[in-house]
Amino acid sequence: MRKFVFSALAAASLALLSVGVAGAKHSTVVLNGAGSTFVQPLVSVWTPALGSAFDYTIQYSGVGSGAGIAAITARTVDFGASDAPMSSDQFTACGGCVQIPWALAGTSIPYNIPGLQLAKGQTTFHLSGDVIAKIYMGTITNWNDPAIAALNKGATIPSLTITPVYRTGNSGTTYNFTDFLSSVSSAWKTQIGQGQSVNWPAGTGASGSSGVTGVVKNTPGALCYVDTGYAIANHLTFASIQNAAGNFVSPSIRNVAAAAATVKSVPTGNELHIVNPPKSAPTAYPIATFTYIILPTHSSNAQALRKMVFWALTQGQAKKYTAALWFAPIPKVVLVASEKTLQQVAST
Amino acid sequence: MEAASVAQPSVFRRTRHVVDRIGDNALFGLSGAAAALALLIIAAIIWKVADGAWPAIRHFGIAFVWHGAWNPVIGREAYGARNFIIGTLVTSFGALLIAAPLSIAIGLFLSELAPPAIRGPIGSLVEMLAAVPSVVVGLWGILVLGPFMRSNIEPFLHDYFGWIPIFGGPPSQSGVLIAIVVLTMMTIPIASSICRELFLGVPRDLKEAAVGLGATRWEMVRHVVVYNVRGGVVAGIILGLGRALGEAIAVTQVIGNSLGPFHISLFKTGNTLASQIAANYQGASTNLQVASLVYLALILLVITFIANLGAQRIVKRFELQRTGGS
Repeated sequence: MRKFVFSALAAASLALLSVGVAGAKHSTVVLNGAGSTFVQPLVSVWTPALGSAFDYTIQYSGVGSGAGIAAITARTVDFGASDAPMSSDQFTACGGCVQIPWALAGTSIPYNIPGLQLAKGQTTFHLSGDVIAKIYMGTITNWNDPAIAALNKGATIPSLTITPVYRTGNSGTTYNFTDFLSSVSSAWKTQIGQGQSVNWPAGTGASGSSGVTGVVKNTPGALCYVDTGYAIANHLTFASIQNAAGNFVSPSIRNVAAAAATVKSVPTGNELHIVNPPKSAPTAYPIATFTYIILPTHSSNAQALRKMVFWALTQGQAKKYTAALWFAPIPKVVLVASEKTLQQVAST
Repeated sequence: MEAASVAQPSVFRRTRHVVDRIGDNALFGLSGAAAALALLIIAAIIWKVADGAWPAIRHFGIAFVWHGAWNPVIGREAYGARNFIIGTLVTSFGALLIAAPLSIAIGLFLSELAPPAIRGPIGSLVEMLAAVPSVVVGLWGILVLGPFMRSNIEPFLHDYFGWIPIFGGPPSQSGVLIAIVVLTMMTIPIASSICRELFLGVPRDLKEAAVGLGATRWEMVRHVVVYNVRGGVVAGIILGLGRALGEAIAVTQVIGNSLGPFHISLFKTGNTLASQIAANYQGASTNLQVASLVYLALILLVITFIANLGAQRIVKRFELQRTGGS
């Protein structure tokens, strides 16, 4: 903890120093953030744009959602970021924090099946929530299982042991994934449940998005869950997932936006769940999540934080920033709620 | 100047007198304070860890130690240390089992058998292994050792020794066996350089006497070199064990961090006390989970204390035997 305080002091004095050196002409504000690796690529394309719009410098470190919540709780950063909504213990510990949904993307299911041949006309490998739950529970253990063959009629699937790979430690992506599995499989819901880390009955753990993709790349028969932008950047092939309407859909921007469009109202606390959306959304991708920025209600940088988040919620959602990273624009009803929450952030 | 002071005994005596009064007291005070500080720090660590673990101790009691579940899902939280304790002991003693004979062999080779020209370079290369940061060893474990074990070593062990349950099951690129190999690599430099120094310290007369009595090289090594310093060898290896018990990062990277029961097969994933703490402490979602992780730390602390006390006893016993025998 002392180290954290020390680094915060160092960062603060550095910030002061840079303000001093820059002089009266520039009033560069440095905003320090930490958390979700999921949103990190998006924050890094926002950073130069925010620099030119407001002269803000954002220093963001992707340490994982759980660690981001810990950092903002200790106030070693100006903002935290998490893909999982904060638990009530975390809210209490944070002492005057708000969470604001500020971006939206899907979680893809990449796989490594050498020798897989899809049927003519089939463009993507198909999986359903029920099958994924059974794989992660250890009840489906081979890729040539009849349940998988039934979803991929005409495909040649080799006999190969399945290695499900999960995230070690506390992860927002794990929260999103287990939220989905709890929603589609009652067995999963009663035996395992949802959380930033759960008691995995089968599989192998690896740390961080890079850890799980690394294992999947090197292990024939492996599959994992990771944010779509990361899977694309690492050239992984991912499955199309069956949604409530029975369609097999990819985590494309349009399909994730269709899932988000099912949000009709935002509860107090801004905790949103868009996994396994109802049949009325036929193209909705079933494993998508809002990701949250966590702000203290009292901050010496309150004005800058408000401006930054407002920009991220509005101009930051533009295609030129989000499209290449497979983030979908947040729907209007969420935008309104986010802006309203943002007003609670006041100067000290 | 020194010659002058030696030549004048009266001056010498007077200065010594003053130095005696201040210097001895200062020496006693300073060294005593340093020793007290060490005690104080240990006490403070134990107190702080016990304090942090208190909510979990109150909630689970001592049953935490043998309870097997670790379920961090909010609403059905249940924590127990059994799987991690077993994992810590299996990986550490597994590493010890491989590292001990290797370290003794390396020590012997470098002190007795190797041609003098290559002793230096090989010795420093082995010691350099200790300088590799554990996170780098862990990365190497993920990228090189894991795939190599999965496609070469583990299939071999499975084909020829698969009837032993510990080598049953399909090979995998992260698991207990890989953690054992990583820990072995990290304990060898410490243990082998201690062994070498000990072997070098065995009096030349004894060795020559043994050879003079017609002992072969092997008999000389076994009955004179190793026998004379076995207490020290055990102590050196236990120092290595201390490193293995507490190693977190490199183990986290290769062991697979499973939360389920510890498997009999070493190819399967597992977990240790240190790696579970390292992987989950940051951002634990409930207060009870944080306290339970600190409870694991308390258990780890107790285990390392027991290991150290055990080492001290062993060393003492060997020393008694040695002095009694001679």
